Amino acid sequence: MTRRLGTLLRGRSYALALLLALGGLAANALLQPSLLRPGVLSGNLLNTLPLVLVAAGQTLVVLGGGVDLSLGALVSLCNVTFVTLLAARASAAEVAWAATAALGLGLVGGLLNGACVALLRLQPIVATFATSFVFAGAALYVMPSPGGSVPQGLVQAYYSSPLGIPNFFWGVAALLLPWWAARRTRYGPYLYAVGGDARAAYVTGVPVALVWLTTYALAGLLAGLGALALTLSTGTGDPLVGGPMTLSSIVAVVLGGTRLRGGSGGLLGTVLGVVVLSTVQNIVAFLGVPSWWQTLINGVIVLLALASARLEVLLRRRGTWAGA
Amino acid sequence: MERAVLCAEAVSKRYGGVTALAGAELRVLPGEVHALLGANGSGKSTLARILAGATAPDEGRITLDGRPVRWASPQQARRHGVAAVYQELSLLPDMTVAQNIWLAHEPLRGPWVRLREVEARTRDLLELIADTVRPGLTADTLVAELSPDERQLVEVLKALSLGPRVLILDEATASLDSRQVQRLFELVSDWRARGMAIVFISHRMEELMEVADRATVLRNGRTVAEVEVARTDPGELLSLMVGREVAVEPLARPEVAQQALLAVRALRTAKVRGVSLGLRAGEVLGLGGLQGQGQSELLLALFGAVPSQGQVVLDGRPLAPRHPRDAMRQGLAYVPGDRQAQGVLGGRSVLENLLLASWERYGRLLRLRRARSDARQMVDRLGIVTSSLDQPVATLSGGNQQKVVLGRWLLRQPRILLMDDPTKGVDVHTKAELYRLLAELRGQGVGVILHSSDDEELLGLCDRVLVMREGQVVAELAGEALTKERLLSASMGAPVGGLP
Repeated sequence: MTRRLGTLLRGRSYALALLLALGGLAANALLQPSLLRPGVLSGNLLNTLPLVLVAAGQTLVVLGGGVDLSLGALVSLCNVTFVTLLAARASAAEVAWAATAALGLGLVGGLLNGACVALLRLQPIVATFATSFVFAGAALYVMPSPGGSVPQGLVQAYYSSPLGIPNFFWGVAALLLPWWAARRTRYGPYLYAVGGDARAAYVTGVPVALVWLTTYALAGLLAGLGALALTLSTGTGDPLVGGPMTLSSIVAVVLGGTRLRGGSGGLLGTVLGVVVLSTVQNIVAFLGVPSWWQTLINGVIVLLALASARLEVLLRRRGTWAGA
Repeated sequence: MERAVLCAEAVSKRYGGVTALAGAELRVLPGEVHALLGANGSGKSTLARILAGATAPDEGRITLDGRPVRWASPQQARRHGVAAVYQELSLLPDMTVAQNIWLAHEPLRGPWVRLREVEARTRDLLELIADTVRPGLTADTLVAELSPDERQLVEVLKALSLGPRVLILDEATASLDSRQVQRLFELVSDWRARGMAIVFISHRMEELMEVADRATVLRNGRTVAEVEVARTDPGELLSLMVGREVAVEPLARPEVAQQALLAVRALRTAKVRGVSLGLRAGEVLGLGGLQGQGQSELLLALFGAVPSQGQVVLDGRPLAPRHPRDAMRQGLAYVPGDRQAQGVLGGRSVLENLLLASWERYGRLLRLRRARSDARQMVDRLGIVTSSLDQPVATLSGGNQQKVVLGRWLLRQPRILLMDDPTKGVDVHTKAELYRLLAELRGQGVGVILHSSDDEELLGLCDRVLVMREGQVVAELAGEALTKERLLSASMGAPVGGLP
């Protein structure tokens, strides 16, 4: 009984995201009644799948006490690699090869980030900012300008609903089920401990560097998956397509109730956070507000999230560096 | 003779130029509570950390069951059954009590954590401290919601969950109330009866007398005695800790003017709980006691660097510094002991470090030639060994770095010098020079408040010493009463040796 209550209380990190997502969907549906038609809704949700995957990787990194600014560029790199390797009439084997190459590239990129942070002990922000230019440059090398196409069969498969359930939900399930399973293994407590206080975790015997390495590696792999989903939904390659996803993924993590300092939060919240972002985007588009407002608001959300801890201190006692 | 479970043989440890341990010996028998005693800086915490694998010794060896061991990490020591609880805690606030206790040794079935077993075993552990903590404390409570004493107890349970053969409790009772201490002692007796060895370090003499079977006394990093607690008394233990060596040449103490310079009434901060004191011009006032009893925080509060409440009067005018700049304008200076963290800018030159607090005196367009000559004078006055004013401070020796920090503040010609353990990790030669300088300053009417973790220093340099304990002044010692015995017994909270 107490345990159930405790679990319920601890699960509250995504409560705000859930409310915002429901509120956002309701507002969106009021403005645009056609939204609630199953086809429209599942199409809208499916458009968010790439960001869901990337933001899930971002969540792992943030939970472990880091941040990854290179995920957007990595998505671009995987996207153009995938498209370049696909011939218009590719066989199943060729598709599998191209997908594997794109995913492998994501994993390698993530491992590079992880090595910088966990082994070289570079600051995550600086290290991943630097690697983001490596990935962006590589993407432009692979494909200097947008182009290429994807076999129609693949796009159709992406937009299909196996067993009557839209692909969005399959994707989310494929994300959350392993996550919940991982939380039941040692990896769960290790991840939260490393993000909460790396020193305390270290003196307790947690392999801190290994945990850091895995979060970045998994984030890279998920960026690769996100790139595949993105390619199938746009049907083309673009060396700049992932750029905005870095900031969006961080905003989704924040909206989902994961603490930017690390050690608290979860994946479900991030999925809901992406849904919130997408409804806001829909509403902005429907009202005809210039889309740069979206970028501006995203930036403000991250700033507020970063400042919240210090603002609290400043409001409570002013004017000294004590405890800072 | 009974076979020892854990031994330290001729263990030495140096930090830079400072000797923390010089041939310390310790023999811990199975099924005993072994107290480790010593004054400030006697090396007991260093020895505890070496036993638990948190620090590597320079020389000597550790044996477990008679076999020499070299711990690569605390984890390795733990795997061999040696677990330690330190005063600084290692709990993660965002995780539950159960997750914290079992972190990194969760019971597993295949890859899965056995949640039922974790919960059941945590409940069993919590049963041990039931009634001494709030009723709602369960395996699922977040550590963030626990009070400091509850966290301390959970930390003990965390060490206990490893099923250790040797449990090291380093100041594990510091934040516990008397009922919790009693419970801990009952448990300790129980564990002892089952053959566990407990190494117990505490600042509270009465606790040691109550719970310990044997005691090892350290002095200046050396083991000076191993005694049966039942056959000794607090007075004898204290005199073993004190010894008869006098390390600091006493400073001449001329009559101090009666003119009051600084008066502090009922000063409070997070760690200082109502301190009043007076300082006269030309006086050296010592702050003594065990480490971390609020001495540093008191100095920082006077310097405006931590928020405080209370009344501070300087020369009859109220002083309420809200920022170090306010205090500096009133003629206060603060010399930190932790020069790496709070003192020097290692990569910058001696010149910049010396003038950091004084640039405003050299005009808007800095008059560099005058600044250089002032800095040069200070280098000569303090005997700072440096090839030039432009040498990076990080390349100087520790003692010279400390002189640079002191010189920075002397350039401002302060009226009150707040010194926070300024000779920590400084070589003997530099210490002597600092003492000489202190005599010079007091001759010029500068008031000095000196916090030192070196009792000899307080005895040799100060006119009066305020002994602090848990954020309060528990004794004021001066003149005849300023002896090492009284300093130590007041620090330990033991009214021994006929104190008033």
